Amino acid sequence: MLLLNWHKVLFYFLWISPHMLLVVLAVVLYRRRLYREFPCFFAYVLYEIAEFIPLLTLYSIEGVIGKQYEYVFSATLILSVALRFGVIDEISRDLFRESQFLKVAARRLLKCVAGLLLIMGLVLAVYAPGNNSVRWHIGVSVVNRGAAIVQCGLLLSLLLSSRFLGLSWRRPAFGIALGLGILTSVDLATSAVRAEFAGAATREFLNLLVTGAAFVCVSIWIGYLLVPELKPASLAVVSGDEVETWNKELQHLVRH
Amino acid sequence: MEQGASTLGQALIGRVPIATWTLVAIAFFALGILVYVALRNRTRRIDVEKAVQAFRSLDIEAFKNLVDSNEEAFLRDNLSPRKFREIKRQRAWTAFLYAWEAGRAATALAKVGQAAQRSSDPETAASGLQLAENAFRLRLQTMRACLYLLTGILLPELHSRSIPPLVDQYERAAETLVRLGRFAYGGSELGRSKGA
Repeated sequence: MLLLNWHKVLFYFLWISPHMLLVVLAVVLYRRRLYREFPCFFAYVLYEIAEFIPLLTLYSIEGVIGKQYEYVFSATLILSVALRFGVIDEISRDLFRESQFLKVAARRLLKCVAGLLLIMGLVLAVYAPGNNSVRWHIGVSVVNRGAAIVQCGLLLSLLLSSRFLGLSWRRPAFGIALGLGILTSVDLATSAVRAEFAGAATREFLNLLVTGAAFVCVSIWIGYLLVPELKPASLAVVSGDEVETWNKELQHLVRH
Repeated sequence: MEQGASTLGQALIGRVPIATWTLVAIAFFALGILVYVALRNRTRRIDVEKAVQAFRSLDIEAFKNLVDSNEEAFLRDNLSPRKFREIKRQRAWTAFLYAWEAGRAATALAKVGQAAQRSSDPETAASGLQLAENAFRLRLQTMRACLYLLTGILLPELHSRSIPPLVDQYERAAETLVRLGRFAYGGSELGRSKGA
């Protein structure tokens, strides 16, 4: 009995607290004027807060059956998934902001990666789960799984390409990418396992895992958005002349 | 027909757990990379000395020799096919390592360029912007060269016979690195003149 209560308390804590933190995050975004740079992320945060209210209400009302809750959950999930794509687009714009060349070349490369991931996502999303019955909310979970593969892959591509090209992240963009990456990868793993193992105990455990990941993710967002940007690395060891010399030599290289 | 469909169904059912675990593995792999990148990002510093050393360490003449098509034709004519493949693989691998190092040096210079962009001196900032742009271009060029060289390692015969444009690509990569070599020596002179 005590164990059951603890489970319930933990579940409610992990479900409600990230949404409370999202309110804090929305305030931080607003006060730091970051909603101008990341409007889609701001919209995503507001949407997550807004969708939580009817979902919690439905969950708490005695008369509401699981199926009704599931319908509302699936309907709200679709827009959430779409907004996440917008957030990834914002992150990529921010990452390539300083280079005209990368704005074109890297984003084109990213589109190719997205195309490949989409195919992979479709194949894996359709063939992974056990239950193949045609119900619309199952269809939604398949779409969610496929989207998680694409989003996870896109975020990884951004992180790896920034390392590969030596791009410097701005703190907010990096924080958003990191948090969203954790959220989508946990989402991907749990949605795949959920489709395979339909037992009540497994479902409860997976719910805890997802809400726990959301808690971590929102904490990361707040942490990265609150802490001020680090001072750029000092260039005291390199003179302006030397930068100019390197630049001229590289110009010869790339023009060839 | 029905038996075939049933066999296919059983095969798919058998594959389902594998696909599920594949997704879980992908997710864990992604999580691992995210944590790694986050931790590395905290400790990353711009190492200018390392960038310069990387540029200077490249022996461009050796690289040009490794990707020289005439040299390759000579080897092909004078060696047995088996020996040629072996030598070709070794040469392509060494050239790959050169191109890889040039790419790493370009990454380091891109970081220097980006840091210079934030300089309070407008001239340094403008040069930094151009330096970063050129470094990005060079990075992508070396990536392309690496891919071509990898093809040479995996398919030594097919590579040189059926895809002639790749030879040009080799040449272009070699020329790029020749210029890189001039820069490296120029860098040394710059260092000496500063010291004097």
